Amino acid sequence: MDEKNIIEVSGVNRIFPVPGGEFQALKDINVKIPRGCLAILKGRSGSGKTTLMNIIGALDNPTSGTVLIDFRTVAKMSDHEREELRRKDMGFVFQAVSLIPTMNAFQNVEFSMRLAGIKPGKERDKRVEECLKMVGLGNRMHHMPAEMSGGEQQRVAIARAIAHRPKMILADEPTAELDSAMAAQVTKLFQEMTRKEGITILMTTHDVGLMDAGDMIIELEAGAQVLGDKE
Amino acid sequence: MLRIMFQKLWHKKWMNLCLLLGSILLIATVVSFPLYQSAAYDRMVQDEFRSYYSAEGQWPGLNSMIFVSQKDNGGVAITRMENFNDTIFDDLGVTKKDTICSYQLSQFEAVSTMQREDMSVKAVNLATISDLENHVKLLAGEMYSEKGVDDDGALQVVISQSAMIKLQVLVGETIKLKGSKGIDGKEIRLRITGIVAEEDPADFYWQEGLDAKNNVCLMNFDTFKEHFTGENARRYTITCKYFSLLEYDDILADQVDHLAEATRYMANEGPFKATMKEPAYLDILDSFLTKRGRIDATLQILQIPVLIMLGAFLFMISGQMYDMERNEISVIKSRGSSGGQIFRLYLYQMIFISLLGGALGIPLGAVFSRILGSARNFLEFDAAKSLPVKFTTQTAEYALAAILVVLAIMTLPAIKHSRVTIVNLKQQKALKKKSLWEKLFLDVILLAVSLYGYYTFSKSGDELGKSVMMGKSLDPLLYISSSLFIVGMGLLFLRLQPLIIQFIYFIGKRFWRPASYASFMENLKNGRKQQFIMLFLIMTISLGMYHATVARTILRNAQDNTEYVNGADIVMKEVWIEIKDLNGKPTGQYVEPEYDKYITADFADSYARVFLEDGVKCENISATVMGIHTKEFGRTATIDRSLTEKHFYEYLNELAVVPDGVIVSRNFETKLGKKVGDTIAYTSKYSAAGTATGKIVDFVDYWPGYAPSETVLDPDGSAATYENYMIVTHYDALRNDWGVLPYEVWLKLKDGHTSQEVYNWIEANDVHVAKYVDRAKEIRMTSEDPLLQGTNGVLTMGFIVTMILCGVGYLIYWIMSIRSREMIFGVLRACGMHKMEMLQMLMNEQIFCGVFSVAAGIGIGQLTSRMFVPILQQAYAASKQVLPMKLIINASDMMRLYVVIAGSMILCLAILILLIFKLNVTKALKLGEE
Repeated sequence: MDEKNIIEVSGVNRIFPVPGGEFQALKDINVKIPRGCLAILKGRSGSGKTTLMNIIGALDNPTSGTVLIDFRTVAKMSDHEREELRRKDMGFVFQAVSLIPTMNAFQNVEFSMRLAGIKPGKERDKRVEECLKMVGLGNRMHHMPAEMSGGEQQRVAIARAIAHRPKMILADEPTAELDSAMAAQVTKLFQEMTRKEGITILMTTHDVGLMDAGDMIIELEAGAQVLGDKE
Repeated sequence: MLRIMFQKLWHKKWMNLCLLLGSILLIATVVSFPLYQSAAYDRMVQDEFRSYYSAEGQWPGLNSMIFVSQKDNGGVAITRMENFNDTIFDDLGVTKKDTICSYQLSQFEAVSTMQREDMSVKAVNLATISDLENHVKLLAGEMYSEKGVDDDGALQVVISQSAMIKLQVLVGETIKLKGSKGIDGKEIRLRITGIVAEEDPADFYWQEGLDAKNNVCLMNFDTFKEHFTGENARRYTITCKYFSLLEYDDILADQVDHLAEATRYMANEGPFKATMKEPAYLDILDSFLTKRGRIDATLQILQIPVLIMLGAFLFMISGQMYDMERNEISVIKSRGSSGGQIFRLYLYQMIFISLLGGALGIPLGAVFSRILGSARNFLEFDAAKSLPVKFTTQTAEYALAAILVVLAIMTLPAIKHSRVTIVNLKQQKALKKKSLWEKLFLDVILLAVSLYGYYTFSKSGDELGKSVMMGKSLDPLLYISSSLFIVGMGLLFLRLQPLIIQFIYFIGKRFWRPASYASFMENLKNGRKQQFIMLFLIMTISLGMYHATVARTILRNAQDNTEYVNGADIVMKEVWIEIKDLNGKPTGQYVEPEYDKYITADFADSYARVFLEDGVKCENISATVMGIHTKEFGRTATIDRSLTEKHFYEYLNELAVVPDGVIVSRNFETKLGKKVGDTIAYTSKYSAAGTATGKIVDFVDYWPGYAPSETVLDPDGSAATYENYMIVTHYDALRNDWGVLPYEVWLKLKDGHTSQEVYNWIEANDVHVAKYVDRAKEIRMTSEDPLLQGTNGVLTMGFIVTMILCGVGYLIYWIMSIRSREMIFGVLRACGMHKMEMLQMLMNEQIFCGVFSVAAGIGIGQLTSRMFVPILQQAYAASKQVLPMKLIINASDMMRLYVVIAGSMILCLAILILLIFKLNVTKALKLGEE
């Protein structure tokens, strides 16, 4: 095990039962992502990106192989421990709009901090504001999700994902619903965060233009790894 | 199209099943009403006729016509009359029981042809009655022959025993009617062939008894007609009587209107009006029609809230279904489908559901109506007493109307939804709107209206009972006021509920754990969506409580009153024979039937002599005097402890020690200013009895069998309330002053003994009974009164239906609302929210919505019951209420209500747990990607 790696995926296979047989979504995946790295997971749709993300995010279990997150074996963790892991050490950004519709931008961000168990007070409020400013929404903090554009919502989701200072952010196609300028902006934001806050970010995308931004690129094709960490 | 329709039906099968359930219940409820009515009214109309028959001893369905045909050329009048009588039953639309026709020639002086010396000249009427030969028995001689004429031209006649004595004629004798001219041109000769008597005097045939015909000779009907009517009628004056008897047992409620109208026309306007007087059965019909109008109006009003709840249920479910399909609709729309096409797709679906609802709802309605007819008490049924089910055109009309209404309720929201395109859908989602009712202050308006109604009715309390008594139906405003009050309070609560939640939220704003925080946010921002289900819950519960209280209170008070007014288990009075003086004049004194025989009545726990006489003069008022033996009376009579200040026995003890003491009703103190120790004198309305005096030992508000006041209908149709005064004294003292007077015997039955034994004893001992009241039977009859029974039935059905709706509505609403948020749940779970936290969040939401509404419903239900039930009760009881009103809130009814609500909440919770534990996070997240 390498000290500098926060995510270590070794020999992971994921097989889904389908009517009349099986479907192998992932074939022998081996990925090591170092701390503070912006890793990009690329591949066509159906190549297994989301499946791998779900496995790394402890939302799904591999059929075989091991996943180590921050030196801990996910397979050995209880449901509760996984939930704690997700709420404290991870932040999620989803492809689709994922804000809680009944909370405004500020409350959405604050909510993830509540989940992570961060004590209420000035500190917490300041952090919320800071994160929203970081995504360029300092002036729209009290707007409801329905009052914001898709890009703005996605940025709130990013602010929400980082607010509780997780060790890593898992972003599944965060730019899919954004225009290219906005996508570049989000990617830049991710880059900055890895630099400033030392957060590890794993994002999936099929936008070729964004590939350069990544510190490392992992490419999947039909469930098999074709590029990336092949040590 | 059909295939798509069925696919859609299947796709949303749970929703559609709920819609079907709602449709079935609504249609069944609507249909059950005319079904119950027609059956209940048939029973009621027959009961009215029967009770008239047993009270008056006269055939209740009788039209009698009388006219005199005077030397009528050609006998036209008689022919017309006979034709009229042949068709009268068809004209009235009833079944013929019998027509009895009698003709009588004017009087002639008759002399015997036997030259008897002892026979003087007598006045004789020659007459005939149709079908006489089948209704008499021969005492002597023989019946007139079929030909009716002897070979010598003498008419064969029979006479009654009284006529035989009066006319002093013998069987076989021939008399001549002086000055008469028969068919052969000679004087009419009558040959007496026999003496007859009524075969069964109680037979309805004997509208005119034979006893009265003591100078009448009766001849063959056909022979009479041949000799004296038709062309021959011009020579005679004939009194013609027709009695047309209709079969009242066959009269159905829906024939009553026509019967009454046709009868009234015949008697007042028709060509034969002069011959006919208004028959007695018109009163029976009128009283039935009044009652029916009142029951109709009352039951219809009582059903409205249930129907509204059912409509609201359908509206809620269909609205939710369209809501869920909004995306789908808008997508189809954007791809070029016209609004009309989408609307038609929904229309066909809903037509299918409504028709299926009708097919299942109508038979269920028949079941409902059976249940209605067997209602004994609230939520209590007597299967043995169910009514037959009768389908009429009215039922079909109601069913059709119900199906159309169901269809409209379910389809109308689709019009709105079929116009939605994806663009304005997104716009709509972004809008936060205040509900229309909030902006209009509908809650305040409704409350104001209902409180005004409450105020008016509670002020006019007595008047209400009187107007009902005068045949007016229950003022719909009264009932509507209570319903409006419930809706108004419910809306007011909805206005306040967010404030309460906001307040709780602000208390711990920063510290709420994620689960509570999320549920507060959900409720504060999205609570408006829940208003409908909340109002639905509040109304279901409060209406359920209110209806249960109304039904229980009305029936219980009616029964309590019946129990009180009949002071003992059995009240009977024997036939007392009045002593006559030597000239045969009544003396006002009676022979006392043997009292010792009651010792053999081993079913009786005790028995008491109770003398009762009303109209006794005391100063300037009229009072009822009750003469009792204190010990017997105390053992036998009963009165509820709560009605008297002291125990009933204490009053009797006070009276027992003062030989000339009297207990008097409270109004002697309040109205006449009497005090304990004052002496009053009272005089019987019968002159023979003297004046008695008594010293007042105490005043009572209530006494077994005593009604403090009484509301009666005056002859002009207005109702007035009179004060009743009562004097209770020692029977023995009264007997000294007034002599031996008829008393009643009150019986208290031993436990487990029934009135059947009393009947048997009366038969066995050959007791002649003038009055007999069986309290248990009276109480039973009270609950069978169509108005009370209908009320109980309708309210019970309403209660059950609303309970079903409440449970199903709550479940479906929650499951649907949670499924629509599945994606957000996925997000929350992905962000690491624990299952238990999720559960807690949803439970909080249920508390904010469900528990709050239930609590509000209970509160509003209680309040409404306390405010409106006393007024409603007054309207129902009218004159019969003599006791103070008791509000009956039955704990077990409330328990049932709570169990159903708790049950559906627990079930809801179980389903929530299942949903959360089954929730596939990765799948849920994918939902959002499309």
